[in-house]
Amino acid sequence: MKAIVSIENLASHLVLTFWTPVFVAIFIAILVYALRPRNKTLFDTAAKMPLRED
Amino acid sequence: MTHASTASKSMTIGEAFLFPVFFALAFLCLFAAGLAHDAPFAFHASLGAIASLAASFFILKRYYDRPAELPPQEINGRPNYNLGPIKFGAVAAVVWGIAGFAVGLLIASQLAWPLLNLDLPWTTFGRLRPLHTSAVIFAFGGNVLIATSFYVVQKTCRARLAGDLAPWFVVLGYNFFIVIAGTGYLLGVTQSKEYAEPEWYADLWLTIVWVSYLAVFTATLFKRKEPHIYVANWFYLAFIITIAVLHLGNNPALPVSFFGSKSYIAWGGVQDAMFQWWYGHNAVGFFLTAGFLAIMYYFIPKRAERPVYSYRLSIIHFWALIFLYIWAGPHHLHYTALPDWAQTLGMTFSIMLWMPSWGGMINGLMTLSGAWDKLRTDPVLRMLVVSVAFYGMSTFEGPMMSIKVVNSLSHYTDWTIGHVHSGALGWVGFVSFGALYCLVPWLWGRKGLYSLKLVNWHFWIATIGIVLYISAMWVSGILQGLMWRAYTSLGFLEYSFIESVEAMHPFYIIRAAGGALFLIGALIMAFNLWMTVNAGEAEQTTQATGLLQPAE
Repeated sequence: MKAIVSIENLASHLVLTFWTPVFVAIFIAILVYALRPRNKTLFDTAAKMPLRED
Repeated sequence: MTHASTASKSMTIGEAFLFPVFFALAFLCLFAAGLAHDAPFAFHASLGAIASLAASFFILKRYYDRPAELPPQEINGRPNYNLGPIKFGAVAAVVWGIAGFAVGLLIASQLAWPLLNLDLPWTTFGRLRPLHTSAVIFAFGGNVLIATSFYVVQKTCRARLAGDLAPWFVVLGYNFFIVIAGTGYLLGVTQSKEYAEPEWYADLWLTIVWVSYLAVFTATLFKRKEPHIYVANWFYLAFIITIAVLHLGNNPALPVSFFGSKSYIAWGGVQDAMFQWWYGHNAVGFFLTAGFLAIMYYFIPKRAERPVYSYRLSIIHFWALIFLYIWAGPHHLHYTALPDWAQTLGMTFSIMLWMPSWGGMINGLMTLSGAWDKLRTDPVLRMLVVSVAFYGMSTFEGPMMSIKVVNSLSHYTDWTIGHVHSGALGWVGFVSFGALYCLVPWLWGRKGLYSLKLVNWHFWIATIGIVLYISAMWVSGILQGLMWRAYTSLGFLEYSFIESVEAMHPFYIIRAAGGALFLIGALIMAFNLWMTVNAGEAEQTTQATGLLQPAE
């Protein structure tokens, strides 16, 4: 049987070529968000979310 | 307006849609049963007809019994949580868990004493093995995940579960899928893809149920009263979305007939193998890991009464896990026809996975900072924490086994079975038991568990069972691997295959003994939870009012 999925279109070509830098960039952006001192209060409150009773 | 709506009752969109759909489906199934090409398909179509008819009857009955207005979103400013479907999921998890562990014990005993296959087609190892794996992973684990996710998403969003019939459709529809899958294995219906054995019609049904699950979960997130989406919900969402993608990717099949159980998969040869293990390993990564990590991130802080050790680490843990896991599958295909570069890629990503896994483990364990003393007094917390320790152990063992030279010894041996069970019994099993011990008193409004002493017994009996199981499999697996690769001085294989089988016998007995202990532990839990619900002391809050739905 011939391959069912064809990956020879422009969009997937771009993804195949650039996914590594794109994913690395996204991951670095996530690291910046997670480690930014400004977000400390947000994360400190979030860490206590399971403990709050309503 | 209020007067008008109390006076006249009308069906919700869900009721008006699902009632005719199920009614029509009942006839469609009856029709398919009549035209069926094989007996198992006729049986499944009949089950479908009965279930659809029952569903349409109960939708109608529920509509006539309920008050005109649906349960309110809030009562006295507090969210009116929907607990009915969660209760069903929790009970189903316990029942399926015991069934799955019992079948596991049976097939472990069959390996030690082959006569136990009873010489019947339905009870052979080949049919009972997928029954065991599906019962423990998808029936037990799946119900734990659905129940806890519906609980956690409501609590951390401070919002009632979205939908009226939809959550019930998810829980009941999922369990109907389990029934079709399980009875199918016994009757010989399988597409022979590991952990994806159900045939095309069961797969289609699961797709509908799973998309509804995603819809209910995301709709609840949209309704949230909390601006921040708690990390456990991220893990649950990743689990739900990825399982949908994996299921669709691995299962495109062409049925031989619309009235028969047999189908052929679209993928061929090594592509099929690659898809299968992309699916298979990510079922481990997203079903058995991400979903249960969500449980860890809610239930451990809650039970220890401590905040998450590092919320920052939890974000990095989540994204690193998501980015890396999806590439690890090819390590199941070392030394096969899969191209070498793909094998090496799978191995490399598996080794990298060690880091986020241990980041998560450290985050779970360190959440006990300042509450370590509770490990001595609270066996439920101990169970949760030991589960995280087992998670750490098996996520070290896994990357190690994915290294090609290690895999050349371990592959196809019992070592793999031992590794899987240290993760399945130790991590997934214990974190689920811990979650159920927390959840049942909360759901039924009980002060606490019937007996913490029994939890302690469960903990120790099951722990000894796991240790027996995994150490027996380490020894037998390495023994097996070494026997297979031993050569004589003349270059002949030193052992025949049957000699390696014979050498396994004592370890198979030890393994079955370990499994028996694990099952006994689960039976103790079932008794304890039963007594908690039926004889436990009620909590003295106002919780009881307004929580019950007409359908309960």
